[in-house]
Amino acid sequence: MQRLSLSSRLALLFAACTAVVSLIAGVLFSRASEAHFIELDQQLLEGKLIGLRRALHDIRPSDSEVRLNEEMSRQADLTLRISGSDGKRWHDSSANLPDGLPRKSGLSTINSAGTDYRVLNAPLFPDRADSPQLTLLLDITHHQHFLQRMQRLIWLTVGLSALATALLGAWAARSGLRPLRRISAVAKGVSAQSLNARLPEENMPPEVAQMARHFNAMLGRLDDSFQRLSAFSADIAHELRTPLSNLLTHTQVTLTRPRSIEEYREALHSNLEELQWMAQLVNDMLYLAKADHGLLTPKRQPLELAEEVDVLLEFFAPLAEDAGVKLSREGDARIEGDRNMLRRALSNLLDNALRFTSVDGEIRVRIVDQPTGLSLTIENSGEGISEDLLPRLFDRFYRADPARHEGSNEHAGLGLAITQSIVRAHGGQIRCESEKGWTRFVIELPRGD
Amino acid sequence: MKLLIVEDQPKTGHYLRQGLAEAGFNIEWVTDGSTGQQLALSGDYALLILDVMLPGRDGWQILQAVRSAGLDTPVLFLTARDAVEDRVHGLELGADDCLVKPFAFSELLARVRSLLRRGSAAPQETTLQLADLCLDLIRRRVERSGQRIDLTAKEFALLEMLLRRQGEVLPKSLIASQVWDMNFDSDTNVIEVAIRRLRLKIDDNFPNKLIHTVRGMGYVLEERSA
Repeated sequence: MQRLSLSSRLALLFAACTAVVSLIAGVLFSRASEAHFIELDQQLLEGKLIGLRRALHDIRPSDSEVRLNEEMSRQADLTLRISGSDGKRWHDSSANLPDGLPRKSGLSTINSAGTDYRVLNAPLFPDRADSPQLTLLLDITHHQHFLQRMQRLIWLTVGLSALATALLGAWAARSGLRPLRRISAVAKGVSAQSLNARLPEENMPPEVAQMARHFNAMLGRLDDSFQRLSAFSADIAHELRTPLSNLLTHTQVTLTRPRSIEEYREALHSNLEELQWMAQLVNDMLYLAKADHGLLTPKRQPLELAEEVDVLLEFFAPLAEDAGVKLSREGDARIEGDRNMLRRALSNLLDNALRFTSVDGEIRVRIVDQPTGLSLTIENSGEGISEDLLPRLFDRFYRADPARHEGSNEHAGLGLAITQSIVRAHGGQIRCESEKGWTRFVIELPRGD
Repeated sequence: MKLLIVEDQPKTGHYLRQGLAEAGFNIEWVTDGSTGQQLALSGDYALLILDVMLPGRDGWQILQAVRSAGLDTPVLFLTARDAVEDRVHGLELGADDCLVKPFAFSELLARVRSLLRRGSAAPQETTLQLADLCLDLIRRRVERSGQRIDLTAKEFALLEMLLRRQGEVLPKSLIASQVWDMNFDSDTNVIEVAIRRLRLKIDDNFPNKLIHTVRGMGYVLEERSA
């Protein structure tokens, strides 16, 4: 089924609202007029009743007819029946009175053979128990006709006003939704090459302006992600180009003339190093790709953070001792997380810290358990990182020291990005601060309940 | 010892066969799943190395057939898909280990040896020995040429591992995993430093070196004739 357009929906809604409102008004008016007619009829009938009681105060069944005819001839649309207290009919003022008249006293409305009557039942002598009954009938066909005409009018009004508001509403909705069409036009023009298109927010109505703002923000984020992605692919190509060209050149040069076994072995070893570096790069990238696709699902095992940190500090102890760096840890917290993933994340941070700590420096790990969550801080003394580089630290392939050291175990620059992915997979945040000779990585993790 | 490799990529299969044969194993290599399953069900093999994606029957199906036939032959999976689910799936079906491509051959060899060793109950040794190096597991003491050597707890664990698997090339990742329980590829040179410090204590004062670096692959503890 085709979905209705927004303008049609609004127009239909307007029409429905108008129809309901005019219908309610019409029904109320029609009820009020009917009540008004009943009131008029009652006054008329009660006036007659008083007259009749006066005229017939000494009536007997035998002479009733003559006196009644006198009395009734004054009112053409009024007919009368007199019956005894036992229900027996004494007299009808007209020949064709309807059957089945109500016997209970008071005012009522009946319909008989296409004619509507207002009927008033009352005793002739209110103070006598065996009084004959008077039944006054008033033909109200003309009232009913009026009411029917009015009902037709009401229906017509409902229909016409609904139609009119539908048309007006459609027009109003279309012109009101013009800013949306503008958004749609911009959205249509957006592609990977034109992510910089933006909507003008200032001359839009407030509701749409907010949407336009969000839309622009979305475009901004997309643009940013896309830039990163393009840079990422370019970086991958660039990172792989160096080892590949080394491999190619080295292998070709080795093969240009016969060489000694030692030389061949040396060439293969050199190639092996390049290949291992590339394999590590590919594995790291796959890990990050998994994180990007939300496939990095940490196990939730209860962990003592202090224990984990101590194990890591013990692991790094030889390296730290060699570099003359002091390692320390304070605080503890319990957490639910993935041991291997968290160890990998912290190991990258510690490795990074060791690399940038000056000789005789210090690396401190501080765990703070707070009611809202916990924070783990790894800080190292050293030169620090300049303010403008801080936000880029977690970017892929970002290296504070751009030169890749030949044959060393240098990271491809994915370590901090991996750490960030792991922290995020645990629902946490990581940031870096640098001041007064200290560089500080702060991990904030939610309390795992 | 007879090993079965089911791997459809000719280059990978070829090098696996060559490498493992040179490491002293008797290798059978087939390239399609159906033949692989027939051979695996014969029960003649000490270990199965299965690729996941295979023509005929895939690695999972072969594993299931082997397990439902009541064979408990150790199975090592090779997968190109670095998905956790793959690993979990394999281990649930009864695989003993799982290696993700690209992997280092030294890593594969070390894991193959671990799996083969798992089956045979190792004798409860109290001392481990190589040449004039002696490690006493009960008193936790190390001596070389009768000279007492003081080691930290981790250095002791590292040396114990090297001694238990003497003659095997142990990749750095395996050492990190077994000695420090660091089960991920870390690019730190912690292992290098740790080995260097162990060497300082074990090898430096002796003419006959026991710890050797196999460039690009790992470390090996063995006696080499000078």
